[in-house]
Formats: sequence, C-alpha cells, structure tokens
Amino acid sequence: MFYLILIAIWELAYRVGVDWLRIWKPYIFPSPIAVFTTLWSLIVDGTMSIAVLASAKRILVGYLLSIIIGIVVGLAIVRFKYLDENLSPLILGLQTLPSICWLPFSILWYGLNESAIIFVITVGSTFAVSIAIESGMKNINPLFARAAKTMGARGFSLYWNVIIPASLPSIISGLKQGWSFAWRALMAGEMISATKGLGQVLMVGRDLADISQVMAIMIVIVVLGVAVDKLVFGKIELNIRQRWGLDKA
Amino acid sequence: MSVLVENVSKSFITKNDRINTLNNINVEFHKGEFVCILGPSGCGKSTLLNIIAGLETATTGRVVCNGKEVKGAGPDRVVMFQEPALFPWLKVIDNVEFGMKLAGIPKEERRAKATKYLQMVHLTRFQNCYIHELSGGMRQRVALARALTLDSEILLMDEPFAALDSQTKNILQLELQQIWLETKKNIIFVTHNVEEAVLLADRVIVMSANPGAIKKEFHIQLARPRQPENIDLAYLAADIMKELKEEVEKVAKAEFDTNWTSKKDIVLSDSDSNMGTGI
Repeated sequence: MFYLILIAIWELAYRVGVDWLRIWKPYIFPSPIAVFTTLWSLIVDGTMSIAVLASAKRILVGYLLSIIIGIVVGLAIVRFKYLDENLSPLILGLQTLPSICWLPFSILWYGLNESAIIFVITVGSTFAVSIAIESGMKNINPLFARAAKTMGARGFSLYWNVIIPASLPSIISGLKQGWSFAWRALMAGEMISATKGLGQVLMVGRDLADISQVMAIMIVIVVLGVAVDKLVFGKIELNIRQRWGLDKA
Repeated sequence: MSVLVENVSKSFITKNDRINTLNNINVEFHKGEFVCILGPSGCGKSTLLNIIAGLETATTGRVVCNGKEVKGAGPDRVVMFQEPALFPWLKVIDNVEFGMKLAGIPKEERRAKATKYLQMVHLTRFQNCYIHELSGGMRQRVALARALTLDSEILLMDEPFAALDSQTKNILQLELQQIWLETKKNIIFVTHNVEEAVLLADRVIVMSANPGAIKKEFHIQLARPRQPENIDLAYLAADIMKELKEEVEKVAKAEFDTNWTSKKDIVLSDSDSNMGTGI
C-alpha cells in the first residue's frame, strides 16, 4: 500500500512537471508507466534474466572469496597482536577507499573480463568482513572465555566452541555490510567494464538515452538487494536473536 | 587431593601507586572440605579465588593443587561465577554438556551424565530451553550442574548466589549443601554474607582488607544438614560478624569521604545487646 502511494506521487510529479508545466523533459524524468513497461519488455525478451544471472554469478564468486579472505584476515588480526597493531589501521583506511578505485589495477592485471570485476567485488567487501570479525571477537563478554577456560577450553577449541559462536551476531551484521559493499562494487564494475550484467544494461539505457531502462534496472537492483537481505541475512539474524533472547525488549 | 596456597601476594601497579590486593596468603584446603572465604568488598577474596583457579597470576608465591603447581585454568578446578556465564547460543542440556564435550567424552555418555546432574538441580523439564527463557535462579542451577559434570574434586564458587533474590538464594544454599553432602567435593566458596558462610562451611576464613590478608579462621562444627533457622548458626554468625565489622568499617573509611566517621554501630549493629552472645 505504502509503495502504491509512492508510485502515485511519482506519477503525479510526472504529470505536473512534464505534462502541464513542461519544466522537465520526458527523457530526463520517466513516468512510472514507462518504467514498468520497459521493465516488462526487458523481462519478456530475456535481457533481464541474462543480466541477473551474469551479475549473480559474479557477486557469488566475489562475495564468497571475500568471506574466506575476510575471515582469515580477521582471525589473524585477533590472534596476533603484532598484526592487530600494524594492519588494523591500514585495513580501516582501505575500507574507506571505494572499491571502484581498484578497477584500473584490476583491468591491468586481469584484462577486461570476469576476473577483473570479481577482483573489485572481493576487494570491496573483504575489509568490511574482516573488520566485523575483529571487532566481534574482541567485544565478546569476557566471562564466556573465562568460564570456558576453567572448563578446559584452550587454543583452537576455545575459538571454535566459544569465541566464534559468541561473536556470531556481530559477524553476521558484518557479512551483511560486506554484501552491500560487494553489490555496489559489482554495479560500479559492470557499468564500466562489462559486456553483460545489470550494470551493463543500465549503461546501455544511458547510452541510448532511455531513462526508463535506467530506472527499471535501478528498481531491480534495489529489489534484489532487499530480497537477499530479507531472505538470507534476515532469517539468520532472526534465528540468532530468538536463541539469544534479544527480541524481548 | 588438596589445595595449598603458599605466600601468595598480588599487587597492581597503577600510574602513581602500587596497590597490594593480597598480602602473603598462606592457607590449605583439604579434600572434601567446604570452606567459605568471607570478607568485606574489595578485600581481594575474588582475586584469591581467581588465582587458585588460574585465571589470574600471583605476583609472588604459588598455588599447589594436588602436588602440582597451578599454571593456568583447568577443568580440575571448575569455577562458578556470580553471573551464570552460560552460553546463550546453546540449549540448557548442551550448556551442561559443554565441559564434557571439550574433554572428548562420547555423546551418549555425556547426555546421560548431563541428565543426571540436571536431575540433581531439578531442571530436566527445561533441558531443551535456551538460557534466556530461564529465571536467574534456574540459570545458576544450570551453571552448578555444568560445574558438577566435570567431576573435579575442587569446585570454586565466586559469590554464586549474590545476585539472586533471598528466597531463591535460601533454596539454592540448601540444595548446594545437599549436593555437597552427596558428592563430597572440596568447595571453596567466596561470599560476603556471614549467614551464608555459617550455614554452608566447615571452616570460615575471614579476610581483612587493604591489604587483603587472612584475619581469622572459624571452624563450624555443627551437625548437617543445617537449617538457616538454627539458633546455633545465629550465635556463630554474630561471633564472625564482630570480626568482620572492623574490616567493613575500614573499607568504608577508605572509600568514603574523609568526613565520614564510624559512629558507633552505624555499619553493622553489634549483637551484644542480645545479652549472652559470646559469654
């Protein structure tokens, strides 16, 4: 219902701004009807499914890589004080660097292909993941670790049985953040250097001055982002919150 | 199996000061003995317990447990903390099994044992609950069951009932007494509650503050199981309270403003008005 109202306002703005007052041109401000017609035709002619599949493949590979690397780096920082002192500021700095800045390097190293984009995605979300792991593990209730130690946990078993599960809530939110970074990196990468994928379809829309297509792809990106968030992370988070009793406010 | 604390001192160095928390503690805990360490807040009794547990290291001196010097925490000296320290990501039964899982005991065996100890603390009905679904007293029972499963001969308890309401506390004290009678573990129990100490202990060690040292020992030779209403307990408690009162006032003086004076009986009322105590 809320979204219907939003679309109605959009349509109204279009009518007033483009049809009556003629202060905007139709090619800079699309009407919702045009956008949904374009969206439908993109779905029907198969462009959309090809684009979504291509993008999904890239982001899955890139995101998985970043999780693996992020976990390794995060654990290493937690485990070794020397790395913590020296590497943490660097990681924080790299985290603030938009991952698209890596694209020139990436193209030089890998060429204009899948690997270049996957590299950008991985770089984009690895640091968010490792920072989340680091802060999650550092901020667990020290009582958990003390209790586990008196029961004979040490070394690996302490990490596996206590520290990792105890920091899971913050790790999940870090992974979630990593996902959104990966998603942004993917779009940026595709817009600049891909031959298929959502970002590329968006750029085609720009090149053909088809603002409806640009808008349609933007909507698809947002919907996919929300869907993954709700279906994957939302479920995991809800499960953890219920177990821990964090919902009882 | 006994625990021997030899010349243990602990000091913290702050920016411009050196704080002696514990000063030359010598004490022995015997097999099967229930000892309460009693003292005012800030006297270092929890620090002493942590040193015995191996969670903190002594500045000087050493702790010898069963002929071996204590180097770190271990399952032969399980600790029960003031907070239950249960893991919220595990069900009650898995929490109880946790220590045994670390020890590598096979699944069926540890399930059977966990059920047995849950029965002992009357919580089998809740074995599939998560921790947040339990009340404070129930959580502390689960923690007790978890501590018992490791079959350590030594059980260290750091004010385990201090955060509970008084009814729950009473019930748990009596249950702990019963469990101790059944298992005959060596329990070292830190508390600031005189009645609790007298009810539970064979021996009460009163500590003084600043620096923490052992002030006096009391042997409680009353028949078990003891009831909190028992009048003999009240006499003994009054005796120990006298000893403690001085220390409590000392701590209060150190912590409060300098204009705080200990007016007679302001901290703890003296039991002399009972006429007959300590005669």
